[in-house]
Amino acid sequence: MTVSRLPSAALSLKQFLHRQKVLGIYRNMLRTIRRVPDEADRKFLRDWARDEFHRNKNVTHEDAIRMMITQASNHLEELQKSLALAHS
Amino acid sequence: MAARVLQQCVRSFARPSLRLCSNNLALRVTAAPAAAVHRPLSFAADSRRTRWLVQSRIPSVGVLCRQYGDLPPLTLETIKERVMYVLKLYDKISPEKLQTSSHFMKDLGLDSLDQVEIIMAMEDEFGFEIPDAEAEKLMTPEEIVQYIADKKDVYE
Repeated sequence: MTVSRLPSAALSLKQFLHRQKVLGIYRNMLRTIRRVPDEADRKFLRDWARDEFHRNKNVTHEDAIRMMITQASNHLEELQKSLALAHS
Repeated sequence: MAARVLQQCVRSFARPSLRLCSNNLALRVTAAPAAAVHRPLSFAADSRRTRWLVQSRIPSVGVLCRQYGDLPPLTLETIKERVMYVLKLYDKISPEKLQTSSHFMKDLGLDSLDQVEIIMAMEDEFGFEIPDAEAEKLMTPEEIVQYIADKKDVYE
């Protein structure tokens, strides 16, 4: 997903946009995980997110990338909703 | 009724601690909002307060200062130390190769996901959020130190 090329090589616009989106989702995920109350849960979720993102790092097929982005957004939303419920 | 309770508390604080000026300030500060809320009782509170202040020997003006709690002031040196410490704790960086000018991607072989994690760790360490647009430009420890010094108004 985040095509790890050298910074000097140019990415096409679509790839660039995907990259930005993925990094944004990763960042939001990490910020949301910070709000989880239990430390062990936090560590587990951080490791899980790390694994998932790193595992699919080198995928180049555009449809697969888009599907994974949607999946990640759904996971993020779920996590945020559960947190909102837990804090209320 | 709350004002009455507050006055009783204030009275019990005032007696043993008449020497401490900061407590007097605290009295003045806490009594003021209470007085503002309950007008009919405020005259009585005022007269009682002035009586205590007149009776107490208020120390000289030098002690009439407010005290706030805060962290020790940041300097470029301390920022740099903390940044390097956090980076050394990161498991994908080998501490020997780490220097202030080492580029995350070119020298240390990290990728953009790792860079996001590193910036998150910096946010945790220094306690303020770094927006996305500026976070993705920070590629060396030196740049991070400069950015934090910028945001926290640290000059040298």
